Amino acid sequence: MEIPYEVKPRRDTGLYNAKLGVWLFLASEVMLFGGLFSAYVFLRTGIQDGVDNPWPWGLNVHKGFVWLGFLNTLVLIASSVGVVFAWVALKERNWRKYQIYMYFVVACAVVFMCVKTVEYNSKLNKHHGIKLVDNSVMEGTILEKTDRIRFEGNRAVFGLQGALPAFLKDISDEDFPAFTATVQFKDDEDPQVTEISSESQFKKWFHQNRRTASKKLTAERRRYRAEMEEFGKAAPVSLNTSATVVASEPFQVNAKPTKVVGHSDSSVNYRDGSKVEGKLISDDVKFVMHEVDLQLVLPQKQRDSIIWDVINDESAKQQFFAKQQKHYEEMRDYYEARGETIPEKMLRGHMLNLQTIDHEDHGDHEEHHGEAPHKSEAKHSAGGGHGDHSYITVPRDKIKFMGNHGPRYGNYYALYFTMTALHGLHVVGGALVLLFFTVFGKKLYLKNPEHLANRVEVGGLFWHFVDLIWIFLFPLMYLL
Amino acid sequence: MAEETHDWDKHKKTYWAVGIALFVFTGVTLALGLVPILDLGPPGPTPADFVIGLAVAGTKATLVSLIFMHLNHEKGLIYKTLLFTFLFFVGLMALTLFAGADPIIEQYDTRETTNGKLVEKP
Repeated sequence: MEIPYEVKPRRDTGLYNAKLGVWLFLASEVMLFGGLFSAYVFLRTGIQDGVDNPWPWGLNVHKGFVWLGFLNTLVLIASSVGVVFAWVALKERNWRKYQIYMYFVVACAVVFMCVKTVEYNSKLNKHHGIKLVDNSVMEGTILEKTDRIRFEGNRAVFGLQGALPAFLKDISDEDFPAFTATVQFKDDEDPQVTEISSESQFKKWFHQNRRTASKKLTAERRRYRAEMEEFGKAAPVSLNTSATVVASEPFQVNAKPTKVVGHSDSSVNYRDGSKVEGKLISDDVKFVMHEVDLQLVLPQKQRDSIIWDVINDESAKQQFFAKQQKHYEEMRDYYEARGETIPEKMLRGHMLNLQTIDHEDHGDHEEHHGEAPHKSEAKHSAGGGHGDHSYITVPRDKIKFMGNHGPRYGNYYALYFTMTALHGLHVVGGALVLLFFTVFGKKLYLKNPEHLANRVEVGGLFWHFVDLIWIFLFPLMYLL
Repeated sequence: MAEETHDWDKHKKTYWAVGIALFVFTGVTLALGLVPILDLGPPGPTPADFVIGLAVAGTKATLVSLIFMHLNHEKGLIYKTLLFTFLFFVGLMALTLFAGADPIIEQYDTRETTNGKLVEKP
């Protein structure tokens, strides 16, 4: 069947159908990204300095990655130019040239996404922050997943309703312990004892007993209703749906702090109600620090911040305040020359309150935190992997929040990931469409080259739009 | 599209020129962020930096849409469609004016402040 107006423009609109279609689509895309840009402006202008979480200065967040962002901008522009010339090549009926340009465009898209992966990886796996209880922040890297609570368990108690107990995921895969599992639904029943030796066996056992528990509960409720109807009173529904597993030898649990409600020297309590009993190995966080951020601490309280107790290094403190003083003098000179006082915003901002610290190992700041058996080993790898920096030990009770620079680290990161990921999806989608036109376009080209040219023009319009979004994302997210 | 059969070399020249201009403007954007002298107003990103940074980005966007997306000679229907897009976009951006109208912020304004200076060394 011949679809009209694929090549020839309609007389009323002057356009072929696909072109009008893609412009309507792009109009809706403007709304999609417009909403996010609007959120960016809203959140950024609505920030109260020194009160809300500070908006990280793009340059400071990305450091070396500014160049990667810059590279990505150039790559996208080059691909935009490429797509225009591919279209011109079709208009000139030069298939070979068209193909070369199109493969160039797709290659650009691949480079763009690779660079993006490097950036994401660094934010999600290499950069962490710890906010202490007085809102002072340390930026750096948490070593060897020490954000986890390291615990040696020998017994666990959990419910048989709902999902698998949360501690299961925190047991390292290699050494899943041999468990003896006990379930006793009613006090007058005999306890059912099962031997479990692997994770899959555990899951099977759990699901079986969950079904039994839910059947027994239904029966109990039915009994209750029947008795109520008949006698007007009934014994309450009672069923013990919890289970216990005891390990033959202690097993290692690395509990994820976001899933834990609380822990003591002898137990870890998970949010889902499951509980592991045993012995705490360590809950200290090992942290390689690069920066101190006191934007949320009032200037008059900064010298007494608990961050200096945690870092326990006088030279780091001196460095911070020396740098602060230097920037303060610059700022004072700037405003005094204009006869103005320094605005509150600037005094609370990152210029004065966020400083990089060259933290050297002084070897005297760990003794009082204990943890002798693990120290030498961890210290070694810290020295090897991070140059001159050595880690500091952060006691968990001083931490208010810690995490990687992922979306939950703050409004900036939430927007950064939402917008760049959505943009990235557009890059992938656009590249796939253009690749399709390149690989499978020959047949259509031989039949009606103008039709293929129109398709490429429409695909190109989308591609330029993707470029256009990045033109704004680059300065907003990386530079300003 | 009989009028479009004319010489493509002229078009190609325009496209190259625009491509180069886009590369140059990207360099300008980067320089605005990195070179201290180009940092307008007080150090760090300030409204002046935003205006100039977004003006450069806007110029680039205009070049892309006018030349690469052929909006410099397009049919009327597309402009009519985009007019509505533009109006709605302005509406979206106008929503950000509410950012200053958050009533919760008011109570924080009574907090201690720095009194316009840093605490000097004890």
